[in-house]
Amino acid sequence: MPAPSRHSPPVLSRRQFLATAGALCLGAGFGIHPTPAAAFDPQRLRQSMQRYGQAGLSVLEEWFSLLQQLQNKDVQAQLRGVNDFFNRHIRWIDDIQVWGQEDYWATPLEAMGKGQGDCEDYSIAKYITLKQLGVTSRYLRMIYVRARIGRSQITQAHMVLGYYSTPDAEPLVLDNIVPSITPASQRTDLDPLFSFNSDGLWAGGSSESRADPLARLSRWRSVIERMQTQGFI
Amino acid sequence: MSLIKQLWLAIITLLLLSFIGSLAISIATSRDYIEQEVRIKNEDNATALALSMSQLEKDLVILELLIAAQFDTGYYRQITLRDTEGNVLIERSSEQYGGDVPAWFRQLVEFEVPSGTATIQDGWRQFGTLELESQHSFAYASLWRSMLELAAWFLLAGVISLAIATVIVRGIKHPLSRVVTQAQDISARRFTTIKEPRTLELRQVTQAMNVLSANVHQMLSHESHKLDELRRHLQHDRVTGALNRDVFMGKFAAQLSSDDARATGMVVMVRVQELETLNEQLGHAATDRLLSTLVSHLSQLDGEASEPVVGRLNGSDFILLLPQFDDVEQLRQHVTKALADVSATAPVSVYLPTAIVPYAPNDQRGTLLATLDDALAQAESLSTHEQIVIRQRERVSLYSSHAEWRAELAAAIQTGPELAYFPVIDAHGDILHYECPARLKLAGEWQTAGVFIPWITRFDMEPALDLAVVKKALTNLITDLKPVGINLSAASITNTQFVNELRALLETQPNLAKQLCFEVPATLSTHEIGSLRGLCSALRPLGCTFGIEHVGAEFTKLADLHDVGLAYLKMDNSLIHQIDTSTNQQTIVRGMATLCHSLGIQVIGEGVANNEELICLFQVGVDGATGPGVQI
Repeated sequence: MPAPSRHSPPVLSRRQFLATAGALCLGAGFGIHPTPAAAFDPQRLRQSMQRYGQAGLSVLEEWFSLLQQLQNKDVQAQLRGVNDFFNRHIRWIDDIQVWGQEDYWATPLEAMGKGQGDCEDYSIAKYITLKQLGVTSRYLRMIYVRARIGRSQITQAHMVLGYYSTPDAEPLVLDNIVPSITPASQRTDLDPLFSFNSDGLWAGGSSESRADPLARLSRWRSVIERMQTQGFI
Repeated sequence: MSLIKQLWLAIITLLLLSFIGSLAISIATSRDYIEQEVRIKNEDNATALALSMSQLEKDLVILELLIAAQFDTGYYRQITLRDTEGNVLIERSSEQYGGDVPAWFRQLVEFEVPSGTATIQDGWRQFGTLELESQHSFAYASLWRSMLELAAWFLLAGVISLAIATVIVRGIKHPLSRVVTQAQDISARRFTTIKEPRTLELRQVTQAMNVLSANVHQMLSHESHKLDELRRHLQHDRVTGALNRDVFMGKFAAQLSSDDARATGMVVMVRVQELETLNEQLGHAATDRLLSTLVSHLSQLDGEASEPVVGRLNGSDFILLLPQFDDVEQLRQHVTKALADVSATAPVSVYLPTAIVPYAPNDQRGTLLATLDDALAQAESLSTHEQIVIRQRERVSLYSSHAEWRAELAAAIQTGPELAYFPVIDAHGDILHYECPARLKLAGEWQTAGVFIPWITRFDMEPALDLAVVKKALTNLITDLKPVGINLSAASITNTQFVNELRALLETQPNLAKQLCFEVPATLSTHEIGSLRGLCSALRPLGCTFGIEHVGAEFTKLADLHDVGLAYLKMDNSLIHQIDTSTNQQTIVRGMATLCHSLGIQVIGEGVANNEELICLFQVGVDGATGPGVQI
């Protein structure tokens, strides 16, 4: 008889539907969220770079070859290579002209894509690239400095990347005003104020930031998160 | 497990689940939120402190002061300053705040907040690392408090939802139990009808069962009417609808010899004088109409009976039996009026001489008929307009006045009735039960029902008598445990107080109550049937059974009795009398038995006079028999 069997599928499917819905609810309740992939991912970087066109892509490819080239070099060579790469490929322009807003912290991808950037964009790009080359963040600090431009008395807020061979050593300064790497003591045009790195941000020393909604509230955290989605870390 | 229990289980499980679920989610959310806030505070404060220290001279005392100022005025658990090697330079820490939070809760929640760190800069060099932890144990207390509040709120909500659930469950349970009762009734072949519940599924079930009951009702009324037609054809005069001579005589004899109230009353005999002349004057059709009118008017004289006993003894003599009548003068007036009405319908003058004679228990039928004939002859000779002769018998009345009767009856009931035992047997000769008519001690002797019932009825003492009889039966059952049938009057079963008292009485003796069969006479009005139905459902749980006695023409009411739950039905002697010689009578009784069996009702024949009748009865499918011909 077909008649009774015709009744059974809707009953079954309703049951299945309920079971699925229940499982979903439970899953949502227990907090099973899809975790964003967080690791260095060249493929994703290339995808992210698509929107900056061919120029951006070619810079990215150069950046990849730089990483390969510097992979097993000593720290001094790595510092020099990275410093030169970004000083050459990024033009120093104020954020307001590049991004239409005061003080925008760009990720290296954004900076390379645009080919332009502010002082902190250089520092971030260098910081990330060096980290990628295996220089632990313990040695690297972003330093807020007051810079006197040329011989004039005009000062301006600036950011450089410092390389500390030991925590209490005098750092090497990677800067875009003076393209070569110099010990800090020789940079009389700069007055250091404060420094930071990403040590406190990645809990327990792991490279994964704890995904939380606060990330976008802090500039530093925001740029870190954007780097994660673009495929840097 | 019952449906209602499952429903309750589901409701409680759901409540608990939602309670635990929302508690867990609320705690988890609060915990995450607090952790986040504390982490931000740790990081921000560490950075701010490190920032201001970076600008200062790196003098330990100044730094310590700064840390102390921050620590003492803020809410911190620990602030540590380490040099670049990791050695502690300055440390401030405080106790954890305990509060009144139970340890298990603290363990369950357990905040994991990383301390905030920031590096102090000394020019280009790093001076040291600042580690800072905020005091967050207060959060345990506030979380614990909010959990308690939530639990209290849920308790309240739970109580409210349980109250609502109770109402809903009752709303389901009540109609459900009605449906279950109906189903049980139907399985016990009581075809009851109930109001349709509002719940869809239950309504469908009820509709189906109601339709079934209605069909049974229809089938019964159809079949019983067919049987009744057959009986009418057999027992009644075709022209007037009065009983045939033989049938009437059988009924009359049965009533006279019966042991109950029917044995007292009046008999009225009317003769249509010069019937042949009338026939010639009016023609057959008109004469027949006149006779029919006479019978119907006579029938109306007995207003109480649904089937008055009117007989046609021969062409011109009609006879009416009025059981339980005793007021001659009133009857005379009624008869006079009825006859005048009949005469008025005829175009020619009609003479209707009439004789009225009272009868009492143990009167001889022949004697009574002779008296009637004699009186009628006298009436014929009367030349007055009103040709009525009343033969007052030598009335052996026990007491002279009503007041005396009332007092004596009350005393006799108080003293207690005595029960006679007449066996009712089945086809194997086993006892079904004993018929137990009551006897009352009046004027020093045990009198049968025919003597005192008319007076009991007149004084409305039926409930008192019936109750006394039931008490007596219960007393007798203690020593002699055999099933007994007790007569209940229609006046008793419609009396609410009687029903309540009877139930209370039977509930004291639940073991004996099972042995009781209650019988009511078949002459029941619709209202009385309703009362009987109520009484049956009230006493059924106690194990009592119910029957109907003296069923004759009332058999057509079986359709209305289909949902009462009767155990048996006693057939009137007029159907049993000489059944062995009449195949038509056998057909009727067989049909009745079959119909009754379809309702699970036993059929018992009354007034079985001899062995031939007895054998014949069992052959046509009757379940039991009683009467003078039944011996054990």
